[in-house]
Amino acid sequence: MPLFALIPGLPLAAFVILAVGGRRFADASHRVGIPAVGLSFALSIAALAEVARNGALSIPLYRFLDVGDLVVTVGLYADQLTVLLLPLITGVSFVVHVYSARYMTGDPRYRKFFAVIGLFTFAMTMLVMSDNLLVTYMCWEVMGICSYLLISHWAHRREAGQAATKAFLVNAVADVGLGFGVVLTFATYGTFNIQEILAQAPAMQGQTLGAFGLEIERNTLIALCLLSGAIGKSAQVPMHVWLPYAMEAPTPVSALIHAATMVNAGPFLLARLSPLVLLAPSAMAAIAVVGAITALYGALVSLTQSDIKRLLAYSTISQIGFMIFACGVGAFGAAIFHLLAHGFLKAYLFLSTGDSLRATGSHAHRGASAPRGRIRPLAAGSLLLACVPPLVLFSGPYEQLWNAQHVPSARIAFWVVALAAVFLTAVYAFRGVVSLFGATVGRSVQAQPSLFSAAHLPGLAACAIAVTALLAGVWSEFSEFLQPALGALPAETESAGLTVALAVSLAVAVLGWCFAYYCHLRPAAVPFARREWVKTAYVLFLNKLYFDEIYRVVAVSPALRISRWLLHRLEDRIINRTVHEVGAGVREGARVLEGSAESGLIDPAVTGVARLVTGTAAWLERLAESGLVTRGPRLATNLLVRVSGWLWRAVDRPATGQTLQRAGGLADDTGETLQRIGPRTLRHHLVIIVCWLSLAIGLTYLLAN
Amino acid sequence: MTSLFTEHLITSLITVPFAGIVALLFVRGDVWVRRVAMGVALLALGLSAALWWRFDPSIEGMQFVERTSWMENFNIQYAVGVDGISLILVLLTTLLGPLCVLASWTSITSKVKAYMILILLVEGAMIVVFTALDLFLFFMLWEVTMIPMYFMIILWGGPGRIHAGIKFVLYSLTGSLLLLVGILGLYLQTGRSFDIQAMVGYAIPEDVQIWIFSFMFLGFAIKLPMVPFHSWLPDAHSEAPTAGSVILAGVLLKMGGYGFLRICLPILPEASAEFAPYILWLSIVAIIYGGCLALAQSDLKKLVAYSSISHMGFVTLGIFAFNEQGIEGAVIQMFAHGMSTGALFLAIGFLYDRTHTRMIADYGGLQKPMPRFVVLLSIFAMASFGLPGMGNFTGEFLVLLGTSFGGMLKVLLAMSGIVLAAAYMLWMLQRVVLGQPRSSLESLPDLNAREIATLVPLVVGVFVVGLIPATLTTKLDSTVNGLLDRSPGIIESASPPGG
Repeated sequence: MPLFALIPGLPLAAFVILAVGGRRFADASHRVGIPAVGLSFALSIAALAEVARNGALSIPLYRFLDVGDLVVTVGLYADQLTVLLLPLITGVSFVVHVYSARYMTGDPRYRKFFAVIGLFTFAMTMLVMSDNLLVTYMCWEVMGICSYLLISHWAHRREAGQAATKAFLVNAVADVGLGFGVVLTFATYGTFNIQEILAQAPAMQGQTLGAFGLEIERNTLIALCLLSGAIGKSAQVPMHVWLPYAMEAPTPVSALIHAATMVNAGPFLLARLSPLVLLAPSAMAAIAVVGAITALYGALVSLTQSDIKRLLAYSTISQIGFMIFACGVGAFGAAIFHLLAHGFLKAYLFLSTGDSLRATGSHAHRGASAPRGRIRPLAAGSLLLACVPPLVLFSGPYEQLWNAQHVPSARIAFWVVALAAVFLTAVYAFRGVVSLFGATVGRSVQAQPSLFSAAHLPGLAACAIAVTALLAGVWSEFSEFLQPALGALPAETESAGLTVALAVSLAVAVLGWCFAYYCHLRPAAVPFARREWVKTAYVLFLNKLYFDEIYRVVAVSPALRISRWLLHRLEDRIINRTVHEVGAGVREGARVLEGSAESGLIDPAVTGVARLVTGTAAWLERLAESGLVTRGPRLATNLLVRVSGWLWRAVDRPATGQTLQRAGGLADDTGETLQRIGPRTLRHHLVIIVCWLSLAIGLTYLLAN
Repeated sequence: MTSLFTEHLITSLITVPFAGIVALLFVRGDVWVRRVAMGVALLALGLSAALWWRFDPSIEGMQFVERTSWMENFNIQYAVGVDGISLILVLLTTLLGPLCVLASWTSITSKVKAYMILILLVEGAMIVVFTALDLFLFFMLWEVTMIPMYFMIILWGGPGRIHAGIKFVLYSLTGSLLLLVGILGLYLQTGRSFDIQAMVGYAIPEDVQIWIFSFMFLGFAIKLPMVPFHSWLPDAHSEAPTAGSVILAGVLLKMGGYGFLRICLPILPEASAEFAPYILWLSIVAIIYGGCLALAQSDLKKLVAYSSISHMGFVTLGIFAFNEQGIEGAVIQMFAHGMSTGALFLAIGFLYDRTHTRMIADYGGLQKPMPRFVVLLSIFAMASFGLPGMGNFTGEFLVLLGTSFGGMLKVLLAMSGIVLAAAYMLWMLQRVVLGQPRSSLESLPDLNAREIATLVPLVVGVFVVGLIPATLTTKLDSTVNGLLDRSPGIIESASPPGG
């Protein structure tokens, strides 16, 4: 159905109209964006229905380029994986559009804001719909620049500019890996088409690439490159540093980045190429390790943050870590499921955060100041929230995870990591929700009207959670639906329902919630809060393990220092200086030549030539005037005299005499001219240059022959 | 008339700027000088568009060929013609011509006529360089391009113009003399002929090839410039007036790359293959070194100048990868770089007209007083660091694909150059565009209609090359195929997958 090309097409059209349309739209910009994305959302639902009925569909668009055996055709491909993500992306984007229409009112760059979120939506929908790795990579980068533009939206703030640059550069570093992977994929498979690559992938098993004496399997390297891209875009350790800074963007953008676009790209890419990734067990292990570390790290750091948006950012890092982790153990279905659930919940959380931030006008969270009476219903909500990750992680895909890890220690590690992360998730979910909605009761609320009334919030929360629960309930159908689009491990058994594992993990989640509630009620009574190591750990995680500082010391300042060193030492002192020295040397040489050779050698030579010519001329003149034989040079032999005499007699004597006279006069003139040209005039130099050039050309001629 | 016109399309195209110069001599009043110059440049653009339109991409060799004997004693001909590579570079030259005139509309106030004549002279000379099929003609006009540039720099340039101008001329002269030696060598080796097409078939012994190649390489490498020979470029670029910088960065540098493609690869294939590994590594060094130095710059124009060195590294990287992807990537990179870097110089020129400073530290927060300028500057900065969807990305990516057959390490290193590019461009944007504006900058006027009209064609061009590169690659395909077929010696060093 070519109609589905409009899913990315409409947001793109909105972007183009707003970007080119000029001031015409200004404060009415949302009237372009909202219908476009809304229609796109409706089409996404239609695409979901279509694919559910008839299976994957592909829409070729146009020939992008055609170079030798490289033919790139831009086309759309919608399979089960794509159509599940499309409603999330367009849906959240639609909500963000509607929300921003109010939230951004009065912003001087209202039009630019809507243009860029339109482009952002386009890039993400195109990313999930692309049938071709090159276009995927392009959209991947375009998302990076969209995030840059949105983070620096309030450009007058210094921090916004720095955060934007940082976000893009961190991503650019990680994208070197992905770009390298794309090039490597082409070098290996000779095509960019994802389906063709996946079809050929098993046959390429065993093909290696040698570098530095190491032989790496190509598929493994490609999978690692995909991981590198995912680490950047999905903010995994150690490239996560940009995401908390991305909070400089207007809050609706955070909803977009955290829920619909950007961070979801990593798990999506791994899932899209899952058949290839599954062929590389060591890369899978790396993916799982990165995911697990990120999940734990994000959860721990989010416990220590006091800025509500930062807290949410680290919780996103942690949750995406879960998804990557799930990909690493082969549970791609679970990852996508988690992605959807997390996406809807995060969008809701951020939009309500924006609401309360607008109302209170500050980022600092003040959970402790909220009256206890208000907390109870919210706390209950947070309990539900806390139960989502275990539901997702342990309900259905658990068996899959179990089967993926044949090594017992890995199994135990999985248990430990997953349960710890579940516990921590419960704790920070409680803190986040309570501080968020508890805080809105403060005094300042009355001063500014809230965009959504407080009464809507529980309703929205209920809806979001109901959707999540519904998703959890339909896991097995979900898994079956997604099956054709994903690679699968050989031994796979599905079992839905309440298993021991699910019960244990839910218990851990509830435990975490209880712990958080207890700490909240009696902050002073927490038994180990005063221990020294706890404080150390707290400070450590409060400062996010000093990743930013380490990068500054290890990467940013050395890069600048090396550049400046290169500029001052190599460029200025060596290369430029060499050139200048050569120039100066030539000039000095010229002076020396002028001093010694010119006046001592060449000048006399030239003058000598001139004298010689004059002399010869005079002699010729005399010779011609006075006849030839009788006053010839005395030293000439008799024979020579006779032969020349005969020769001269043979030709017309007077004419020859005249010619010789004329030649003599000419030579005389030349000689005199040369004598007249002083050594320093321009003509003198020209003569020298011509001499040298003809010498050089003659030399070349000789050499070349 | 029509047939006369179509048969002599290239000659007409060449005649237009030179005839325009003659016409300008008789025009009085700066206003009319500008208008006539603009008209001539637009006419040239129209003719090259006609050339583009009539060009048949399925033919492998030269098209629109015209030959007339010129100096019979030395076998010198007036011979011109275009293939895909020439066509693209001619289009680039004629595209930048009118924009240069438009950019100098008000910023040049003294000796307007001379300035316009110089622009047209350099444009005409470059069209001949890109279409010449005779080495003597090629070399002669190659030299001619240098003179107007020199006068533009020393007469209308910045504070260090004398130094920059002399450096430019001496460097270029050295390069041209070496090139001349190479050309004479070729002349003597290939039966006393300057005919480029006829030379392709000659089997020149490999040791002679290596000598000739080294001379020519130095000549082209100085023009391009490759890294150890680049130091004329930052000075010349930063001191030249806006139009001068645009022509220098936009087309003059491309003569080096064009020389490699037109002369070195087809005529000296064995020597090219011999030198290729070193040139590839030199290109990698150029990419990273140029990027590093751009990062350390505090002068806007110098930053862009060093970024050019980095981008030209991709051109040589692609050319000496010896495969279709690499070479077509290099040509696209030349085209895209001409537009994006030309546009950056234009934009910086507009800024300079307002503030008369090029130092980054003097700016900040321009988004407030000059929003339109900021949008355009950001677009070109992004294009310059290879954002997908814009021209440079297509070029760089194809070059990387081409390089990948010869070793993945080079790909990785070259990609780190792209990160550097993102770093210096975004850092520049952060310092110039973002933040709170200084009080002195708050009242700067935004771009006017003329300035926007100068930049918009380049925005369109950058996006067309980025989104529909097939428009260029279809014109290039058979040319590059032919280039690779005719020089089988160089293919051995790299072969595409499965082939």
